Amino acid sequence: MNKVTCECGHENPYGTYLCESCGKPLQDEGRLANMRYEGVARRSQTYKRSPVDKVWNFFSSVKVGIWIIVLLLVTSSIGTLFPQEMYIPPGESPTEYYAAEYGLAGQLYYDLGFHNLYSSWWYMLLVAALGISLVIASLDRFVPLYRALKKQRVTRHTAFMKKQRLYGEKESGEVDIDQLKTALIKRRYKVREENGNLLAEKGRFARWGPYVNHVGLIIFLIGGMLRFFPGMYLDDYVWIRDGETEVISGTDGEYFVENNQFVVEFYDEEENDILQPALMRADAPVVSNFQTSASLYKRSSEGSIGSGTELEHVKDHEIIVNDPLTFEGISLYQTDYKMNELSSFTFGVETDAEGETEALEDVVFTVDLNDPQMFYEFDNGYQIEIIEYFPNFYVNDAGEPTTENRVPDNPRIIFELFPPEADPETDQGEISLIGIQVNEELNGENDHTIRMLDADMVNVTGLVIRRDHTLPIIMVGGAIFMVGLVQGSYWHHRRIWIQQKDGKLFVAGHANKNWHALKKDLEYLNDYSDLPEIKDQLEEDKAAETEEGGTSSHVRAQQ
Amino acid sequence: MKKKRLLMRSAILFVMVAAIGYTFFNHFSEERGLVDAGDSAPNFVLEGLEGEPIELSDLRGEGVYLNFWATYCTYCRSKMEYLQEHYEEYEEKGVRVVNVNVDETTLQVERHKQRFNLAYDLYIDRNMLVSNAYGVGVLPSVFLIDENGEVIERQVGGKTEEQVLTALDSLVPAQ
Repeated sequence: MNKVTCECGHENPYGTYLCESCGKPLQDEGRLANMRYEGVARRSQTYKRSPVDKVWNFFSSVKVGIWIIVLLLVTSSIGTLFPQEMYIPPGESPTEYYAAEYGLAGQLYYDLGFHNLYSSWWYMLLVAALGISLVIASLDRFVPLYRALKKQRVTRHTAFMKKQRLYGEKESGEVDIDQLKTALIKRRYKVREENGNLLAEKGRFARWGPYVNHVGLIIFLIGGMLRFFPGMYLDDYVWIRDGETEVISGTDGEYFVENNQFVVEFYDEEENDILQPALMRADAPVVSNFQTSASLYKRSSEGSIGSGTELEHVKDHEIIVNDPLTFEGISLYQTDYKMNELSSFTFGVETDAEGETEALEDVVFTVDLNDPQMFYEFDNGYQIEIIEYFPNFYVNDAGEPTTENRVPDNPRIIFELFPPEADPETDQGEISLIGIQVNEELNGENDHTIRMLDADMVNVTGLVIRRDHTLPIIMVGGAIFMVGLVQGSYWHHRRIWIQQKDGKLFVAGHANKNWHALKKDLEYLNDYSDLPEIKDQLEEDKAAETEEGGTSSHVRAQQ
Repeated sequence: MKKKRLLMRSAILFVMVAAIGYTFFNHFSEERGLVDAGDSAPNFVLEGLEGEPIELSDLRGEGVYLNFWATYCTYCRSKMEYLQEHYEEYEEKGVRVVNVNVDETTLQVERHKQRFNLAYDLYIDRNMLVSNAYGVGVLPSVFLIDENGEVIERQVGGKTEEQVLTALDSLVPAQ
């Protein structure tokens, strides 16, 4: 590593713009000094050696960081063009859905994996790269800047003064340094004095704003990352019928929740005076309350699992929206419901004799759709057997009737009916397939017809099971992010140097933004002591450029 | 100084890469079951269609092919066909096939047994207590439990007859 030795004797690392000790510009670049990061060498930019350094330097680059952000923004917005896979209608195959619904663009969307964008490996890799870039780029800039500002010297090289944007010099008369000092302290500057030279500084902490902001962002990303760690995050679903008990997933089969009763209440359109206009506008009745009266149970540690399992009652809770049942960091939220799921059918039997139908009053039976009996026998000798039961009927690819799952959404029952004179052991009965709006005779003309008389229904509550230990971390990250933003936006760092050398008085000023305020501070100082005329060298340059037709020298804009 | 910096950078990069690697591993690796190879199989008691109980701990000394199934699961059907052909042969070798239905109605299970002429016992897991304790998600799910009550392997999804036989062979207790 080549050191650059300044005339003051200080050895600076290669790539330094302004001597770390006296501030003398080491590289001649235009009229104004490059004050970015106090002119220190950002180490990563100045040498490359091992692979570790190469990786480090890659992520240290702001250019790379901005590219990562742009890529994330573009891909994230593409991901919102069509619904993500989890939001397409249930039962739809994504392979066909996107092409059918959105044509060629949809097909492309699916083929490129945008239907599952936010959990795809390359999207996650981009977010990870953003995190790495944030850490390295911030470290690489914060550390040298912090050091430079902490150990900055009061006395600076004249060349440093001359290359500041706000600068003025004059033959020094009698200058009352103490008076200037008092004036500056009055304006809440921190003032240091060294051999009759002054360095006044204000709002340095504003310089840390971007780094505080980045720390917040990194904490935020860590919070997001922790969701993938075991035990940190759980997001599941459970449907429970009235009166039933279901296991709570994510608890290793240890906790159960019973739905004692689920109720939905609607706003009354007639009664509610204040809400009436709004209610009239809504097409459907508006729900005023969903409520699940729930009981939490824990599997008893004694005995083995299965038919010997005993559940111990833990507690009761009325779950309403935003008032979940919470235990051991897991919350059950009311999110959905299903009214009127079929629970039982009641059937009667009619005879067809000579064109007239007659109901058999004694032959009435109820089939529990969640636990049907196999045989139904009646006093008058009739027997009915259920041959097949399909809770959620469909015909599969092989053309066989079967059920999709165990939820009685579309129940079909195949009955075999034996009149008193038939013997179930030897004779074949009358077979019919019955469901909602379906009544087919399967073996020729039947003398009897099984009729559905009634259907009972239950309500089903839908609860979300959630555990999220990452939320506090994400909130802390967000808060720190905002603090950094405010810190860097509403305050600004300004410095004034006043130096006497060789019978001359030099004044220079630098601000990281809001130069106007700094100029006003210098004007204010003029009231206390006779300072030289301060010129804005950047504006002078601009004026000169305009006169020359905008072709002259390049001037670096300053941070 | 230079060495210290390299060490520092390597350490920071290592921590970040490790954290990200672990995240990716959790997200993309096939999830380890709640009960999986190497675990001791949780004991359970279930009842068959006639009410006859079975307790896993009573089967110590035998290999257990624990099969979670449903009537509506097509892969289960073919698997149970293979088991039907071979279960007696393996029972002699000391391997028990235990078929556990995931809480369908008794009627359906009984009819299924009749329709496919299944000779072995079928157990129904009421309220999915056992399925939940074993972390059964996708059907069919099979747990191969050795004679000491330890899970050798967790198999999820459809399997060929050959694969089923290999699994059964691996369960034959050492003499």
